Amino acid sequence: MTIVRRIVVLLGLPVALVAGWWFASAGSTDFFRPSLQRIMQAFAETWLGPRLVDEVLPSMIRFVLGYAAALLIGVVVGVAIGLSPKARATAEPVLEFLRAIPPPVLVPIIMLFTGIGDTTKIIVIVSGCVWPILLNTVEGVRAIDEVLAETCRVYRIKPLRHLVLRASSPQIVTGARQALAIGLILMVISELVAASGGLGFTIRQFERGFQIPEMWSGVLLLGLIGVALAGLFHLAERRTLAWYHGSRDADRK
Amino acid sequence: MLIVNKLSKVYDAHGRRVEALADITFSVAEGEFACVVGPSGCGKTTLLRCLAGLLAPTSGTATVQGKLAVVFQEYGRSLFPWLRVRDNVALPLKNLPKDERRAKVTNALEAVGLTDAAGAYPWQLSGGMQQRVAIARAIAYGPKVLLMDEPFAAVDAQTRADLEDLIRDIWQRLGVTLLFITHDIDESVYLGQRVIVLSAAPSRVAEEIVIDLPDERDQLTTRGDARFVELRGRVYAQIQKAKRGST
Repeated sequence: MTIVRRIVVLLGLPVALVAGWWFASAGSTDFFRPSLQRIMQAFAETWLGPRLVDEVLPSMIRFVLGYAAALLIGVVVGVAIGLSPKARATAEPVLEFLRAIPPPVLVPIIMLFTGIGDTTKIIVIVSGCVWPILLNTVEGVRAIDEVLAETCRVYRIKPLRHLVLRASSPQIVTGARQALAIGLILMVISELVAASGGLGFTIRQFERGFQIPEMWSGVLLLGLIGVALAGLFHLAERRTLAWYHGSRDADRK
Repeated sequence: MLIVNKLSKVYDAHGRRVEALADITFSVAEGEFACVVGPSGCGKTTLLRCLAGLLAPTSGTATVQGKLAVVFQEYGRSLFPWLRVRDNVALPLKNLPKDERRAKVTNALEAVGLTDAAGAYPWQLSGGMQQRVAIARAIAYGPKVLLMDEPFAAVDAQTRADLEDLIRDIWQRLGVTLLFITHDIDESVYLGQRVIVLSAAPSRVAEEIVIDLPDERDQLTTRGDARFVELRGRVYAQIQKAKRGST
Protein backbone atom coordinates (compact mmCIF):
# COMPACT_ATOMS: atom_id res chain seq x y z
CA MET A 1 0.00 0.00 0.00
CA THR A 2 1.30 3.43 -0.85
CA ILE A 3 1.79 5.98 1.89
CA VAL A 4 -0.96 8.18 0.51
CA ARG A 5 -3.48 5.37 0.64
CA ARG A 6 -2.45 4.45 4.15
CA ILE A 7 -2.95 8.01 5.31
CA VAL A 8 -6.38 8.09 3.65
CA VAL A 9 -7.38 4.83 5.35
CA LEU A 10 -6.02 5.99 8.69
CA LEU A 11 -7.50 9.48 8.74
CA GLY A 12 -10.50 9.09 6.43
CA LEU A 13 -13.12 8.17 9.00
CA PRO A 14 -12.00 10.61 11.74
CA VAL A 15 -11.95 13.47 9.24
CA ALA A 16 -15.40 12.50 7.94
CA LEU A 17 -16.81 12.31 11.47
CA VAL A 18 -15.38 15.65 12.51
CA ALA A 19 -16.66 17.24 9.31
CA GLY A 20 -20.10 15.71 9.89
CA TRP A 21 -20.15 17.04 13.43
CA TRP A 22 -18.93 20.42 12.28
CA PHE A 23 -21.67 20.92 9.66
CA ALA A 24 -24.47 19.27 11.62
CA SER A 25 -23.85 21.44 14.65
CA ALA A 26 -23.05 24.64 12.76
CA GLY A 27 -25.18 27.52 13.98
CA SER A 28 -26.59 25.48 16.86
CA THR A 29 -28.48 27.50 19.43
CA ASP A 30 -29.05 24.54 21.76
CA PHE A 31 -27.37 25.42 25.06
CA PHE A 32 -26.27 21.87 25.83
CA ARG A 33 -25.15 21.07 22.30
CA PRO A 34 -23.04 23.96 21.12
CA SER A 35 -21.54 24.05 17.66
CA LEU A 36 -18.20 22.35 17.13
CA GLN A 37 -16.81 25.71 16.14
CA ARG A 38 -17.76 27.07 19.55
CA ILE A 39 -16.23 24.01 21.24
CA MET A 40 -12.97 24.42 19.34
CA GLN A 41 -12.86 28.04 20.36
CA ALA A 42 -13.38 27.01 23.97
CA PHE A 43 -10.72 24.34 23.55
CA ALA A 44 -8.09 26.88 22.59
CA GLU A 45 -9.10 29.29 25.33
CA THR A 46 -9.39 26.64 28.02
CA TRP A 47 -6.53 24.27 27.50
CA LEU A 48 -3.81 26.07 25.58
CA GLY A 49 -2.85 28.12 28.59
CA PRO A 50 -1.91 27.79 32.25
CA ARG A 51 -4.49 24.98 32.70
CA LEU A 52 -2.29 22.66 30.67
CA VAL A 53 0.39 22.89 33.34
CA ASP A 54 -1.87 23.34 36.36
CA GLU A 55 -4.52 20.70 35.67
CA VAL A 56 -3.58 18.42 32.78
CA LEU A 57 0.07 17.86 33.63
CA PRO A 58 -0.53 16.71 37.25
CA SER A 59 -3.18 14.28 35.96
CA MET A 60 -0.79 12.87 33.40
CA ILE A 61 2.01 12.54 35.95
CA ARG A 62 -0.30 10.59 38.27
CA PHE A 63 -1.34 8.43 35.35
CA VAL A 64 2.25 7.69 34.33
CA LEU A 65 3.31 6.90 37.90
CA GLY A 66 0.32 4.63 38.51
CA TYR A 67 0.71 2.90 35.16
CA ALA A 68 4.44 2.34 35.65
CA ALA A 69 3.89 0.96 39.15
CA ALA A 70 1.18 -1.38 37.83
CA LEU A 71 3.51 -2.54 35.08
CA LEU A 72 6.29 -3.27 37.54
CA ILE A 73 4.06 -5.02 40.09
CA GLY A 74 2.15 -6.92 37.41
CA VAL A 75 5.24 -8.26 35.69
CA VAL A 76 7.16 -9.13 38.87
CA VAL A 77 4.24 -10.86 40.58
CA GLY A 78 3.05 -12.40 37.30
CA VAL A 79 6.46 -13.94 36.62
CA ALA A 80 6.68 -15.28 40.17
CA ILE A 81 3.24 -16.86 39.94
CA GLY A 82 3.70 -18.07 36.37
CA LEU A 83 6.94 -19.90 37.14
CA SER A 84 5.49 -22.03 39.91
CA PRO A 85 2.51 -24.34 39.30
CA LYS A 86 1.91 -24.40 43.05
CA ALA A 87 1.78 -20.62 43.34
CA ARG A 88 -0.56 -20.56 40.35
CA ALA A 89 -2.99 -23.02 41.89
CA THR A 90 -2.96 -21.12 45.18
CA ALA A 91 -3.22 -17.62 43.82
CA GLU A 92 -5.57 -17.96 40.88
CA PRO A 93 -8.93 -17.96 42.75
CA VAL A 94 -7.85 -14.94 44.78
CA LEU A 95 -6.69 -13.13 41.66
CA GLU A 96 -9.98 -13.80 39.91
CA PHE A 97 -11.81 -12.36 42.92
CA LEU A 98 -9.66 -9.25 43.15
CA ARG A 99 -9.87 -8.68 39.44
CA ALA A 100 -13.65 -8.83 39.49
CA ILE A 101 -13.90 -5.84 41.86
CA PRO A 102 -14.51 -2.67 39.83
CA PRO A 103 -11.76 -0.25 40.90
CA PRO A 104 -14.10 2.80 41.11
CA VAL A 105 -15.77 1.07 44.05
CA LEU A 106 -12.41 1.09 45.79
CA VAL A 107 -12.00 4.85 45.58
CA PRO A 108 -13.82 5.66 48.86
CA ILE A 109 -12.17 2.73 50.62
CA ILE A 110 -8.66 3.66 49.51
CA MET A 111 -9.43 7.23 50.48
CA LEU A 112 -10.14 6.11 54.05
CA PHE A 113 -6.59 4.88 54.35
CA THR A 114 -4.55 7.31 52.30
CA GLY A 115 -6.60 10.50 52.44
CA ILE A 116 -7.50 12.59 49.40
CA GLY A 117 -4.05 13.35 48.03
CA ASP A 118 -2.08 12.12 45.04
CA THR A 119 -1.34 8.78 46.70
CA THR A 120 -4.99 7.78 46.65
CA LYS A 121 -5.38 8.66 42.99
CA ILE A 122 -2.25 6.76 42.02
CA ILE A 123 -3.32 3.73 44.03
CA VAL A 124 -6.70 3.78 42.29
CA ILE A 125 -4.95 3.72 38.91
CA VAL A 126 -2.64 0.90 40.04
CA SER A 127 -5.53 -1.13 41.45
CA GLY A 128 -7.20 -1.22 38.04
CA CYS A 129 -4.19 -1.46 35.74
CA VAL A 130 -2.36 -4.22 37.54
CA TRP A 131 -4.80 -7.05 36.77
CA PRO A 132 -4.67 -7.35 33.01
CA ILE A 133 -0.87 -7.04 33.14
CA LEU A 134 -0.51 -9.59 35.93
CA LEU A 135 -2.87 -12.19 34.49
CA ASN A 136 -1.46 -11.90 30.98
CA THR A 137 2.08 -12.20 32.34
CA VAL A 138 1.12 -15.40 34.16
CA GLU A 139 -0.28 -16.79 30.90
CA GLY A 140 2.82 -15.76 28.97
CA VAL A 141 5.21 -17.33 31.46
CA ARG A 142 3.18 -20.51 31.60
CA ALA A 143 3.32 -20.92 27.82
CA ILE A 144 7.12 -20.77 27.57
CA ASP A 145 8.44 -23.47 25.26
CA GLU A 146 10.00 -26.36 27.12
CA VAL A 147 12.69 -26.90 24.50
CA LEU A 148 13.87 -23.31 24.97
CA ALA A 149 13.94 -23.80 28.73
CA GLU A 150 16.06 -26.93 28.28
CA THR A 151 18.30 -25.07 25.86
CA CYS A 152 18.92 -22.50 28.60
CA ARG A 153 19.79 -25.25 31.06
CA VAL A 154 22.21 -27.02 28.74
CA TYR A 155 23.99 -23.84 27.64
CA ARG A 156 23.88 -22.22 31.10
CA ILE A 157 21.94 -19.23 29.84
CA LYS A 158 20.35 -17.13 32.59
CA PRO A 159 16.70 -17.92 32.04
CA LEU A 160 14.96 -14.99 33.71
CA ARG A 161 16.39 -12.27 31.54
CA HIS A 162 17.03 -14.15 28.34
CA LEU A 163 14.03 -16.44 28.28
CA VAL A 164 11.18 -15.68 30.69
CA LEU A 165 10.83 -11.95 30.16
CA ARG A 166 11.44 -12.10 26.43
CA ALA A 167 9.21 -15.08 25.72
CA SER A 168 6.30 -13.65 27.68
CA SER A 169 6.68 -10.13 26.28
CA PRO A 170 3.87 -10.50 23.70
CA GLN A 171 1.40 -11.33 26.46
CA ILE A 172 2.82 -8.64 28.75
CA VAL A 173 2.27 -6.12 25.97
CA THR A 174 -1.31 -7.34 25.47
CA GLY A 175 -1.98 -6.80 29.17
CA ALA A 176 -0.27 -3.43 29.12
CA ARG A 177 -2.44 -2.32 26.22
CA GLN A 178 -5.63 -3.21 28.08
CA ALA A 179 -4.27 -1.46 31.17
CA LEU A 180 -3.65 1.73 29.19
CA ALA A 181 -7.36 2.31 28.58
CA ILE A 182 -8.28 1.31 32.13
CA GLY A 183 -5.65 3.66 33.54
CA LEU A 184 -6.97 6.62 31.63
CA ILE A 185 -10.52 5.96 32.82
CA LEU A 186 -9.38 5.62 36.42
CA MET A 187 -7.30 8.76 36.16
CA VAL A 188 -10.52 10.67 35.48
CA ILE A 189 -12.64 8.78 37.99
CA SER A 190 -10.13 9.27 40.78
CA GLU A 191 -10.48 13.01 40.20
CA LEU A 192 -14.26 13.06 40.32
CA VAL A 193 -14.49 12.13 43.99
CA ALA A 194 -13.19 14.53 46.60
CA ALA A 195 -10.55 16.06 44.39
CA SER A 196 -9.37 19.64 44.10
CA GLY A 197 -7.61 19.56 40.78
CA GLY A 198 -6.80 17.63 37.65
CA LEU A 199 -8.38 17.08 34.27
CA GLY A 200 -11.39 15.08 35.50
CA PHE A 201 -12.03 17.57 38.27
CA THR A 202 -11.87 20.50 35.84
CA ILE A 203 -14.35 18.90 33.44
CA ARG A 204 -16.68 18.31 36.38
CA GLN A 205 -16.35 21.94 37.43
CA PHE A 206 -17.26 23.12 33.95
CA GLU A 207 -20.30 20.89 33.97
CA ARG A 208 -21.47 22.17 37.32
CA GLY A 209 -20.86 25.75 36.28
CA PHE A 210 -22.86 25.27 33.04
CA GLN A 211 -19.78 26.08 30.98
CA ILE A 212 -20.95 23.64 28.36
CA PRO A 213 -18.52 24.34 25.47
CA GLU A 214 -15.63 24.14 27.95
CA MET A 215 -16.95 20.84 29.28
CA TRP A 216 -17.18 19.44 25.77
CA SER A 217 -13.65 20.61 25.01
CA GLY A 218 -12.40 18.72 28.07
CA VAL A 219 -14.00 15.53 26.81
CA LEU A 220 -12.37 16.14 23.45
CA LEU A 221 -9.00 16.61 25.13
CA LEU A 222 -9.38 13.28 26.96
CA GLY A 223 -10.04 11.55 23.67
CA LEU A 224 -6.98 13.16 22.10
CA ILE A 225 -4.82 12.09 25.05
CA GLY A 226 -6.10 8.54 24.59
CA VAL A 227 -5.22 8.57 20.90
CA ALA A 228 -1.76 9.98 21.61
CA LEU A 229 -1.06 7.33 24.27
CA ALA A 230 -2.24 4.55 21.97
CA GLY A 231 0.05 5.91 19.26
CA LEU A 232 3.05 5.96 21.59
CA PHE A 233 2.22 2.47 22.72
CA HIS A 234 2.02 1.26 19.15
CA LEU A 235 5.49 2.69 18.41
CA ALA A 236 6.98 1.01 21.47
CA GLU A 237 5.31 -2.27 20.57
CA ARG A 238 6.60 -2.18 17.01
CA ARG A 239 10.14 -1.83 18.32
CA THR A 240 10.02 -4.52 20.99
CA LEU A 241 7.80 -7.08 19.29
CA ALA A 242 8.99 -6.92 15.69
CA TRP A 243 10.28 -10.48 16.05
CA TYR A 244 6.93 -11.72 17.29
CA HIS A 245 4.85 -10.31 14.47
CA GLY A 246 7.44 -11.46 11.96
CA SER A 247 7.55 -15.01 13.25
CA ARG A 248 3.75 -15.21 13.32
CA ASP A 249 3.57 -14.06 9.72
CA ALA A 250 6.23 -16.63 8.82
CA ASP A 251 4.19 -19.39 10.48
CA ARG A 252 1.09 -18.44 8.54
CA LYS A 253 2.81 -18.74 5.16
CA MET B 1 34.40 -38.71 27.17
CA LEU B 2 31.08 -40.14 28.17
CA ILE B 3 30.30 -43.04 30.51
CA VAL B 4 26.87 -44.55 31.03
CA ASN B 5 26.69 -47.09 33.82
CA LYS B 6 23.63 -49.23 34.58
CA LEU B 7 21.34 -46.36 33.74
CA SER B 8 17.63 -46.90 34.20
CA LYS B 9 14.64 -44.62 34.05
CA VAL B 10 11.12 -45.38 35.18
CA TYR B 11 8.41 -42.82 34.62
CA ASP B 12 5.31 -42.55 36.69
CA ALA B 13 2.83 -41.35 34.10
CA HIS B 14 -0.64 -40.79 35.55
CA GLY B 15 -0.39 -43.79 37.84
CA ARG B 16 0.96 -46.01 35.10
CA ARG B 17 4.50 -47.17 35.55
CA VAL B 18 6.49 -46.84 32.34
CA GLU B 19 9.93 -48.36 32.22
CA ALA B 20 11.76 -46.51 29.46
CA LEU B 21 15.37 -47.49 30.11
CA ALA B 22 16.04 -50.83 31.81
CA ASP B 23 19.79 -51.07 32.12
CA ILE B 24 22.03 -49.13 29.79
CA THR B 25 25.78 -49.41 29.98
CA PHE B 26 28.20 -48.09 27.37
CA SER B 27 30.92 -45.53 27.00
CA VAL B 28 32.18 -43.27 24.27
CA ALA B 29 35.91 -42.62 24.20
CA GLU B 30 37.42 -39.18 23.91
CA GLY B 31 37.14 -37.97 20.32
CA GLU B 32 34.97 -40.88 19.25
CA PHE B 33 31.88 -40.59 17.06
CA ALA B 34 29.19 -43.02 18.20
CA CYS B 35 25.61 -43.40 17.03
CA VAL B 36 22.73 -44.72 19.09
CA VAL B 37 19.99 -46.37 17.08
CA GLY B 38 16.94 -48.31 18.13
CA PRO B 39 13.35 -49.08 17.23
CA SER B 40 10.94 -46.17 17.61
CA GLY B 41 9.72 -45.64 21.15
CA CYS B 42 12.80 -47.26 22.65
CA GLY B 43 13.65 -44.37 24.95
CA LYS B 44 16.35 -42.72 22.85
CA THR B 45 15.24 -39.26 23.82
CA THR B 46 14.97 -40.29 27.48
CA LEU B 47 18.57 -41.46 27.25
CA LEU B 48 19.69 -38.16 25.78
CA ARG B 49 17.84 -36.17 28.42
CA CYS B 50 19.53 -38.19 31.16
CA LEU B 51 22.91 -37.64 29.54
CA ALA B 52 22.28 -33.91 29.19
CA GLY B 53 21.34 -33.62 32.86
CA LEU B 54 17.79 -32.58 31.99
CA LEU B 55 16.29 -35.65 33.61
CA ALA B 56 17.35 -37.47 36.75
CA PRO B 57 17.85 -41.21 36.18
CA THR B 58 15.98 -43.64 38.44
CA SER B 59 19.21 -45.50 39.07
CA GLY B 60 22.69 -45.71 37.62
CA THR B 61 24.83 -42.87 36.38
CA ALA B 62 25.54 -40.91 33.23
CA THR B 63 28.84 -39.08 33.36
CA VAL B 64 29.90 -36.48 30.84
CA GLN B 65 33.50 -35.37 31.23
CA GLY B 66 34.01 -31.84 29.98
CA LYS B 67 31.76 -29.14 28.59
CA LEU B 68 28.60 -30.41 26.98
CA ALA B 69 26.55 -29.04 24.11
CA VAL B 70 23.27 -30.42 22.79
CA VAL B 71 21.59 -30.11 19.40
CA PHE B 72 17.90 -30.79 19.84
CA GLN B 73 15.54 -32.47 17.43
CA GLU B 74 13.11 -29.55 17.52
CA TYR B 75 15.49 -27.05 15.97
CA GLY B 76 12.74 -24.50 15.42
CA ARG B 77 11.86 -24.49 19.10
CA SER B 78 15.40 -24.48 20.43
CA LEU B 79 16.39 -21.18 18.80
CA PHE B 80 15.37 -17.89 20.39
CA PRO B 81 12.95 -16.24 17.95
CA TRP B 82 13.65 -12.74 19.29
CA LEU B 83 17.37 -12.97 18.58
CA ARG B 84 19.06 -12.73 15.23
CA VAL B 85 21.17 -15.68 14.10
CA ARG B 86 24.46 -14.22 15.33
CA ASP B 87 22.96 -13.37 18.72
CA ASN B 88 21.52 -16.86 19.06
CA VAL B 89 24.99 -18.28 18.53
CA ALA B 90 26.54 -15.70 20.88
CA LEU B 91 24.04 -16.07 23.73
CA PRO B 92 25.78 -18.96 25.56
CA LEU B 93 29.09 -17.04 25.31
CA LYS B 94 27.94 -14.06 27.39
CA ASN B 95 30.82 -14.22 29.86
CA LEU B 96 33.55 -14.05 27.22
CA PRO B 97 35.21 -10.78 26.19
CA LYS B 98 33.44 -9.12 23.27
CA ASP B 99 36.18 -9.65 20.67
CA GLU B 100 36.60 -13.31 21.50
CA ARG B 101 32.86 -13.85 21.40
CA ARG B 102 32.55 -12.19 18.03
CA ALA B 103 35.42 -14.26 16.60
CA LYS B 104 33.85 -17.50 17.82
CA VAL B 105 30.48 -16.60 16.35
CA THR B 106 32.02 -15.69 13.00
CA ASN B 107 34.01 -18.93 12.87
CA ALA B 108 31.05 -21.08 13.83
CA LEU B 109 28.75 -19.49 11.27
CA GLU B 110 31.44 -19.89 8.64
CA ALA B 111 31.86 -23.56 9.54
CA VAL B 112 28.18 -24.24 8.89
CA GLY B 113 28.03 -22.02 5.83
CA LEU B 114 25.71 -19.38 7.25
CA THR B 115 27.89 -16.27 7.17
CA ASP B 116 25.34 -14.46 5.03
CA ALA B 117 22.44 -15.26 7.34
CA ALA B 118 24.05 -13.77 10.48
CA GLY B 119 21.64 -10.85 10.57
CA ALA B 120 18.47 -12.83 9.88
CA TYR B 121 15.96 -14.06 12.43
CA PRO B 122 15.70 -17.87 12.74
CA TRP B 123 12.11 -17.91 11.51
CA GLN B 124 13.21 -16.30 8.27
CA LEU B 125 15.31 -19.39 7.47
CA SER B 126 14.45 -22.83 6.13
CA GLY B 127 14.39 -25.84 8.44
CA GLY B 128 17.81 -27.04 7.33
CA MET B 129 19.31 -23.61 7.87
CA GLN B 130 17.74 -23.37 11.31
CA GLN B 131 19.36 -26.65 12.27
CA ARG B 132 22.68 -25.27 10.98
CA VAL B 133 22.25 -22.32 13.35
CA ALA B 134 21.71 -24.75 16.22
CA ILE B 135 24.86 -26.62 15.18
CA ALA B 136 26.79 -23.35 14.96
CA ARG B 137 25.65 -22.45 18.46
CA ALA B 138 26.82 -25.83 19.73
CA ILE B 139 30.28 -25.62 18.19
CA ALA B 140 30.82 -21.96 19.14
CA TYR B 141 30.20 -23.04 22.73
CA GLY B 142 33.43 -25.05 22.49
CA PRO B 143 32.19 -28.37 23.91
CA LYS B 144 34.24 -31.47 24.67
CA VAL B 145 31.15 -33.62 24.22
CA LEU B 146 28.42 -33.00 21.68
CA LEU B 147 25.04 -34.72 21.93
CA MET B 148 22.66 -34.72 19.00
CA ASP B 149 19.09 -35.94 19.29
CA GLU B 150 17.71 -36.95 15.89
CA PRO B 151 18.74 -33.56 14.59
CA PHE B 152 17.86 -34.26 10.97
CA ALA B 153 14.58 -36.08 11.50
CA ALA B 154 12.51 -33.17 10.28
CA VAL B 155 14.46 -31.96 7.23
CA ASP B 156 14.18 -33.16 3.65
CA ALA B 157 16.43 -35.90 2.27
CA GLN B 158 18.85 -33.70 0.34
CA THR B 159 19.33 -31.25 3.16
CA ARG B 160 19.82 -34.21 5.41
CA ALA B 161 22.67 -35.61 3.31
CA ASP B 162 24.38 -32.20 3.35
CA LEU B 163 23.99 -31.90 7.11
CA GLU B 164 25.38 -35.41 7.65
CA ASP B 165 28.53 -34.48 5.75
CA LEU B 166 28.69 -31.22 7.65
CA ILE B 167 28.59 -33.07 10.97
CA ARG B 168 31.36 -35.47 9.93
CA ASP B 169 33.44 -32.54 8.78
CA ILE B 170 32.95 -30.68 12.06
CA TRP B 171 33.73 -33.77 14.10
CA GLN B 172 36.96 -34.37 12.23
CA ARG B 173 38.06 -30.77 12.56
CA LEU B 174 37.13 -30.16 16.20
CA GLY B 175 37.94 -33.58 17.62
CA VAL B 176 34.90 -33.56 19.90
CA THR B 177 33.35 -36.65 21.44
CA LEU B 178 30.09 -37.03 19.58
CA LEU B 179 27.04 -39.07 20.44
CA PHE B 180 24.41 -39.01 17.72
CA ILE B 181 20.95 -40.42 18.37
CA THR B 182 18.89 -41.46 15.37
CA HIS B 183 16.21 -43.90 14.26
CA ASP B 184 17.67 -44.07 10.77
CA ILE B 185 19.85 -47.17 10.26
CA ASP B 186 21.62 -45.85 7.14
CA GLU B 187 22.44 -42.63 8.90
CA SER B 188 23.88 -44.41 11.93
CA VAL B 189 26.18 -46.53 9.78
CA TYR B 190 27.21 -43.69 7.51
CA LEU B 191 28.07 -41.22 10.25
CA GLY B 192 29.95 -42.85 13.08
CA GLN B 193 32.72 -45.17 14.12
CA ARG B 194 30.47 -47.31 16.20
CA VAL B 195 26.75 -48.03 16.34
CA ILE B 196 25.09 -48.77 19.67
CA VAL B 197 21.84 -50.65 19.08
CA LEU B 198 19.16 -50.32 21.73
CA SER B 199 16.39 -52.83 22.24
CA ALA B 200 12.74 -51.84 22.44
CA ALA B 201 11.56 -50.35 25.74
CA PRO B 202 12.43 -51.12 28.49
CA SER B 203 15.65 -50.79 26.58
CA ARG B 204 19.11 -52.21 27.01
CA VAL B 205 22.14 -52.13 24.78
CA ALA B 206 21.43 -54.98 22.38
CA GLU B 207 24.66 -54.80 20.43
CA GLU B 208 27.60 -52.58 19.65
CA ILE B 209 28.83 -52.71 16.08
CA VAL B 210 32.15 -51.19 15.06
CA ILE B 211 31.90 -49.36 11.75
CA ASP B 212 35.22 -50.04 10.04
CA LEU B 213 34.57 -47.89 7.01
CA PRO B 214 37.36 -45.56 5.88
CA ASP B 215 37.40 -42.10 7.46
CA GLU B 216 36.88 -40.36 4.15
CA ARG B 217 33.21 -40.89 3.45
CA ASP B 218 31.07 -39.76 0.60
CA GLN B 219 27.31 -39.99 0.17
CA LEU B 220 27.61 -41.72 -3.20
CA THR B 221 30.50 -44.17 -2.87
CA THR B 222 30.26 -45.01 0.83
CA ARG B 223 26.60 -45.89 0.65
CA GLY B 224 27.31 -48.11 -2.36
CA ASP B 225 30.27 -49.80 -0.67
CA ALA B 226 29.81 -53.55 -0.06
CA ARG B 227 31.03 -53.16 3.52
CA PHE B 228 28.46 -50.41 4.15
CA VAL B 229 25.68 -52.65 2.88
CA GLU B 230 26.89 -55.50 5.05
CA LEU B 231 27.07 -53.33 8.20
CA ARG B 232 23.68 -51.86 7.51
CA GLY B 233 22.32 -55.39 7.23
CA ARG B 234 23.81 -56.28 10.58
CA VAL B 235 22.35 -53.23 12.33
CA TYR B 236 19.01 -53.89 10.68
CA ALA B 237 19.01 -57.54 11.80
CA GLN B 238 19.86 -56.47 15.36
CA ILE B 239 17.00 -54.01 15.46
CA GLN B 240 14.55 -56.59 14.14
CA LYS B 241 15.80 -59.01 16.80
CA ALA B 242 15.51 -56.33 19.47
CA LYS B 243 11.94 -55.63 18.44
CA ARG B 244 10.99 -59.31 18.51
CA GLY B 245 12.75 -59.87 21.79
CA SER B 246 10.50 -57.45 23.58
CA THR B 247 7.17 -58.69 22.28
